[in-house]
Amino acid sequence: MNGLLDLPHGPARYLSVDSKLEPTFRDPAGQLRLTDECALRRIYPAARKETLEFLASPLRTALEKSGDLIPSRVASSGDCALVADGELWLEHPRIDSISYPWEWTTGQWRAAAELTLRVAGQAIAAGWTLKDATPLNVLFIGSRPILVDVLSFERRDPRSTVWLAYGQFVRTFLLPLVAARYLGWPLQATLLRRDGYEPREIYDSLPRRRRFRPALFDVVTLATFFERPGTKPSQAKKLPTANDPALATHILEKRIARLGKKIREVVGPPHRSQWSDYTQLARHYQSGDTEQKQQFVKATLERVRPAHVLDIGANTGSYSRMAAEAGAEVLALDSDAAALETLWEMAAREKLPIAALVANIARPTPAAGWRNREHLSLLDRLEGRFDLVLMLAVIHHLILREQAPLALIGELAASLTRRWLLVEWVPPSDPMYQEWLRGRDDLYGKLTEEDLRQALAPAFAVADRCELGNQRVLLLFERMGEPGGAAIAAKTAQQESSTA
Amino acid sequence: MKLLQVLPLVLMFMGALILAERPAYAYADPGTGLLALQAAGSALVAAGWYLRRKIYTFLQRGKPVVGNQEENASIVPYEDSRIS
Repeated sequence: MNGLLDLPHGPARYLSVDSKLEPTFRDPAGQLRLTDECALRRIYPAARKETLEFLASPLRTALEKSGDLIPSRVASSGDCALVADGELWLEHPRIDSISYPWEWTTGQWRAAAELTLRVAGQAIAAGWTLKDATPLNVLFIGSRPILVDVLSFERRDPRSTVWLAYGQFVRTFLLPLVAARYLGWPLQATLLRRDGYEPREIYDSLPRRRRFRPALFDVVTLATFFERPGTKPSQAKKLPTANDPALATHILEKRIARLGKKIREVVGPPHRSQWSDYTQLARHYQSGDTEQKQQFVKATLERVRPAHVLDIGANTGSYSRMAAEAGAEVLALDSDAAALETLWEMAAREKLPIAALVANIARPTPAAGWRNREHLSLLDRLEGRFDLVLMLAVIHHLILREQAPLALIGELAASLTRRWLLVEWVPPSDPMYQEWLRGRDDLYGKLTEEDLRQALAPAFAVADRCELGNQRVLLLFERMGEPGGAAIAAKTAQQESSTA
Repeated sequence: MKLLQVLPLVLMFMGALILAERPAYAYADPGTGLLALQAAGSALVAAGWYLRRKIYTFLQRGKPVVGNQEENASIVPYEDSRIS
């Protein structure tokens, strides 16, 4: 486990709560607030005893040790100004690369589902259970998933044969993957579905023969059949139990194993896209150009030694990997899920500190949830967090496909980086530029490197430059003071001269 | 013969489990159909569990018994009881 999980120690701190987020409110056992330093969880009195029991349990120790569960410690009022005397509060380290399920690749969904099932299985064996099982309880540290909801654990009735979170797991993990695989519904659409899909929704959309596939028959077809619409809700009765606790445990373990098998079946092999083979098939790059570009990026990384790097348009991750190997924690962003899947698999296989996020920087993921205050927008999570932002072979996408003016691209970059920005300028003569120009020569056909420099001049100065054999240019920019500081200074000077 | 005697009991047990499906005590929605599906699945696994126990007892019938016979008959090694 890397240093991200080290809990801060020291004298009482004033922690500023993230004002863009509502404290969590669904769990009857407690609520979570995100502060600038850590995550703080208030435990309600009714859940105090069970929470303390869990914290003292060998299960918690084992899960934290394996890196599957976020570490916790009891926070005191002397430790943090938010904590009132007599209340139970827990402190967790803040994971900065917050990603939401609608920004994950299929492989990340699978990894998060397998983590949830693994933890559920361990909990069952130890006499506990997960009371909820949703991807929203999982975050990624680099490429590794981690369960972040300590309040998900509760003591289980040793004779109960029901896993109460089973329905939620099926709706929020399994059925979105089923919908993505067999119906082509993008995983990104889960942004609109907090509680996933109901079996009936999938059943109604599936072709008849698919409803009988072994992986889908029970969780889609049978579950729909058992829904029995029109049944009057009756008072809660005792759940099914077995007389023999060993049998109950056996049933629950079989259920967890069966769900794991279904997840593996449904995920299937990765598919290819226009961009997933881009690096290997790029015709506009001669090997010498690629080498020259790699050398310049490597030299830049050695020069600026960034701790946090944002790679916009990361594709399959050649440069994210380079940054990670240079010691940085990398957030790799790309709108092409298939390309990013390759990147994530590479990062997971080689245990590199690269977090992958399927997102389009030009149409960033919006804030979501109750009053748009449950889940942060992408830009709220990214702004001002990076020492170096990479925009390699991405600027022509923003100009031609998103039709973003260079000045706005400069403003966006200035809001993301604390200091450095590495841009690959793609001239209009470039084959990729020409492919998307599509007759708009008057608007975009005459842009030059100088236009880019001028557009970025209010916030950045050029610190280094490298022209490649294919006429693309790598420009390293360094931020000047506060965002827009130079522009403000220029405007003030202009006003002063006009007054005079 | 013994298996035939047990089967109706198993089927009754399965039916009872399926009918026992009701809104449950949970903060995450356990679903309706998915909760019933769990009950049905539990019944099937339980049926396998009991049948194996009966088969095990049946196969052990002719073998010499050491110690308390009644006690030994109810012991099924956990791994052996799993359905593959």
